[in-house]
Amino acid sequence: MKLLKMLPFLSTALVGLAWFGAPAHAYALQDDEAEAEDEEAEDEDESDAWYAIVGGDVYTGTGAVLRGATVLSKNGKIKEIGHDLFLPEGTEKLDARGMRVYPGLVALSASSRLTKGLFQAEPEPDFDPHLGVDNLHPDGRANAHLDTGNEEYDEVADIPTDADVLVEGQLLRQEIADSFDPFSQYLVLALSTGITTAEQSDTPVKLKRDEIKDVDMGPKNVYSLNFSLSNPNSRRQTREKLEKASDYLRRMKAWEAEGDKDKKEPSKKGVDMNYVRVLRGEVFAAFNANDREELLDIAHLAQRYRFRPVINGCMEGWTVASELGRAGAYAIVTPRTRSPKSEELVRPGGSSIENAAILHSHGVQVAVIPGNTSFELNGMTGRDLLHLPVEAGFAIRGGLDERAALDSITTIPARILGVDHRVGTLEAGKDMDAIITDGDLLHYQTFVQYTVVDGKLVYDKEEEIFFAHIRPRPELPALDPGEEPGEAEAVVDEEAPADEDAEEEAPPESEDDDEGEGADDQGAGEDDDGRL
Amino acid sequence: MGCMASMRTGLAVVTATCLTALGASASLPQSASTPGPLALRAAKILTCAQEGPQVVDQGVVLIRDGKIEAIERARGFTVPAGYEVIDLGERWLAPGFIDLHCHEAGYSLYSQINDLNDVVYLTNPGLRASVAAKPGVFSMRRAVAGGVTSVLYIPGSGSNIGGAGVLLKTGFHRFEENLIRDPGSMKLAQWGNPESWTIGVGMTFEHWNTRNTIRRGLAYAKRWREFEESGGAEPERNIQFDIFRDLLAKRTQVSTHTQMYQVVLMTLTMIRGEFELDVYLDHSSIGGWLAAEMARDMGVPAIVGPRSVDPATRGMIEWARNGHEGFRGLAAGYQERGMTEIGFNTDSPVIAQEQLHVNAAMAVRYGMNEVGLESVRGLTIVPARAAGIDHLVGSLEVGKQADILVTTGHPADPRTSMERVYIEGRVVYDAERDGRQW
Repeated sequence: MKLLKMLPFLSTALVGLAWFGAPAHAYALQDDEAEAEDEEAEDEDESDAWYAIVGGDVYTGTGAVLRGATVLSKNGKIKEIGHDLFLPEGTEKLDARGMRVYPGLVALSASSRLTKGLFQAEPEPDFDPHLGVDNLHPDGRANAHLDTGNEEYDEVADIPTDADVLVEGQLLRQEIADSFDPFSQYLVLALSTGITTAEQSDTPVKLKRDEIKDVDMGPKNVYSLNFSLSNPNSRRQTREKLEKASDYLRRMKAWEAEGDKDKKEPSKKGVDMNYVRVLRGEVFAAFNANDREELLDIAHLAQRYRFRPVINGCMEGWTVASELGRAGAYAIVTPRTRSPKSEELVRPGGSSIENAAILHSHGVQVAVIPGNTSFELNGMTGRDLLHLPVEAGFAIRGGLDERAALDSITTIPARILGVDHRVGTLEAGKDMDAIITDGDLLHYQTFVQYTVVDGKLVYDKEEEIFFAHIRPRPELPALDPGEEPGEAEAVVDEEAPADEDAEEEAPPESEDDDEGEGADDQGAGEDDDGRL
Repeated sequence: MGCMASMRTGLAVVTATCLTALGASASLPQSASTPGPLALRAAKILTCAQEGPQVVDQGVVLIRDGKIEAIERARGFTVPAGYEVIDLGERWLAPGFIDLHCHEAGYSLYSQINDLNDVVYLTNPGLRASVAAKPGVFSMRRAVAGGVTSVLYIPGSGSNIGGAGVLLKTGFHRFEENLIRDPGSMKLAQWGNPESWTIGVGMTFEHWNTRNTIRRGLAYAKRWREFEESGGAEPERNIQFDIFRDLLAKRTQVSTHTQMYQVVLMTLTMIRGEFELDVYLDHSSIGGWLAAEMARDMGVPAIVGPRSVDPATRGMIEWARNGHEGFRGLAAGYQERGMTEIGFNTDSPVIAQEQLHVNAAMAVRYGMNEVGLESVRGLTIVPARAAGIDHLVGSLEVGKQADILVTTGHPADPRTSMERVYIEGRVVYDAERDGRQW
């Protein structure tokens, strides 16, 4: 079985060798032709890597559920999703019959341990490996070196120009890419949870395994603003910078409208380009806020300057949900947040299990993160990054519908990170980041069986030490016993009886899940397989 | 005319409420007094009974004077006259949860467990948690909303014997109403804890000292027993040791914070084997499941939590020495070795009080077999039996107190909503009436 799995790789490798052996002029000629050819010819290029997840119930994340369908990718991008797909010769196949296929999860605020692994810088003083404490200090002390301590100087010197913003962003991306540990056990644990994209210092990172190419998914998509009630100075600065940026944009617009190129371009003096980018809609403005008054202020600020805020925490959001909805806010919430309302307050307040549901019903885009966005390896379970779907389950407890709960850990965080054109849903043209589960993703018992990133299998539950011993995956009859590419069509209905056995052994569905997988779905998958 | 119109609107609203609400929420008993006889009709009743069916589909529970009077299949059953029938539709019923490791049933000025962890000596059997209990604190209101209807409020593990715990209901506003039993247990913490004494005091002395205290305590209790049975001179009263009279008479148990294989062995051999006291393993994590066969044979239950796995990571794998690579589910470990009495605890506030059910869910996630409803039994009847209160609570059976959860599905599932909670037949939480708390 293993060897057979390797066949496509071997053939690809051989083809590769053949290419290099070919005369240089022929290579060039072929290349030119390929450029001129249409897509169909490209499909036949034998160096393409085709990957197919076959026969699973595909939860695309767009609302569509395709029973017993196939997701086909080419060179890491989804080519097609559906039934009766033509799979090109040499397509590597992953048997997902009896299982579910979901888009890879997107983890916001993930601990830097996730990608740094062994390259993690020396721990903060209060880091305790037994407690699983994230070593990003809560007050952001890790960035303390950026401040000189001299407030006046900082105010002038820290106003970044266009170039500064660019350089700073590039440096950060470079740093993340340079410190990415593709062999880290934390990375494998994240993949075991189904997380395929993670935020590291506001920057989206693809969780590739055993390779570091293209882990950097793009520049950071959020810029943090401080509008905390407890910090009047920051509030004043934020307001002033927004006003200056807004004024600059007005002057710029007027200058452009005038069309007089000889006239001097409006001055950028004292204008923080990060704020200009926020107002231009190039990045989101991110806030940490939980208090109702702060949330209202942010909503008003966002409406006045016309930007979309991303609010981390948003604990009392449920009390001002309509205002946040009108402001086009994104909320990053932890449904299990537990904080009683102050006894001094008459108004509603404090945490609410219904927060996510109420925010969602008012048009706020809700993303969910667990209470601990690192790895809790001291024996406590259910509340760290390894249980991201369980946390989304608590949003359902509070009334969020299942679709929105899935969105809250896939497509909404992808939007916040600015990578929703690549990840977060299974759609043609997007990255082939998919997870295959043994049941409803949001059920506490469900395990991720396989994780695929960019069209490559990067996690197989049975092959890793972590969870292989828990409810081992039942052996399914071979997807196509012929296995030789091209011969699959010869095999059609022989599998039917064996398949039923496998079904009995499949892990139980959630008891209150009304869309349980019946025998019919399995049957549908079989038909597809037969035609491969 | 205008008056008439508004009256009609008012009536319409009332009618609509009756139709849309969970049956008869408009007529919910609001006062603390015992309501009249009730008949709860539900789609699924998880009885967790020791004998008989675990699940009754489409059933009715009759409640009178705070106790369960009957549980029947709804089909063909006629509710006797005089009962208020509450049709809960698609809802499920389950027994109220019991947490045998709670530090949150009180609140002091400084922290939740401040009043509970007075480390006077290395063993303090005379201290009582009951003096620190406060009804109606935030965490108890949350407990009710999370379906936890009974808790064992116990001292912390700062010393080897922290004192007496107290068994309480969570939903009422007066201590006397909440009280199930005092002493609820004697809290023993064996090596690993106690934190405050670990430096300078090792395992040999701690075990010697614990054994010495228990031996003296039991000798004291036996003198009193002899006096009560055969008269003679009244023994001198020593309030440090009074709890041993309850232990000797099997009126209470030793709840033992124990973990790691060799310490669990010590709990079993010393407390159960040598002193023949009723005892249960609490925490029971970090490789404790390796002693599961012995615990099973000695009839000692394991109440697992707040940890639910032994992970394979640096540090921990050496500590646990369970020789296991990967995330080893603790409940699964006990279960695979033939243990049937497996319960769950929170060690609240380590895990928030209302999240007791999460530990049951995690036990199943990490390998516990659930075919016999083990996850729900571990939240209900198993802890009730361990604490010797199974004649009162822990299952839905005739004659027991009507501590009943109304849920939207499997009670351990994080996605399931707790819609209403009855304690002794009284509604102590209703998501619609009180606003959803959890």
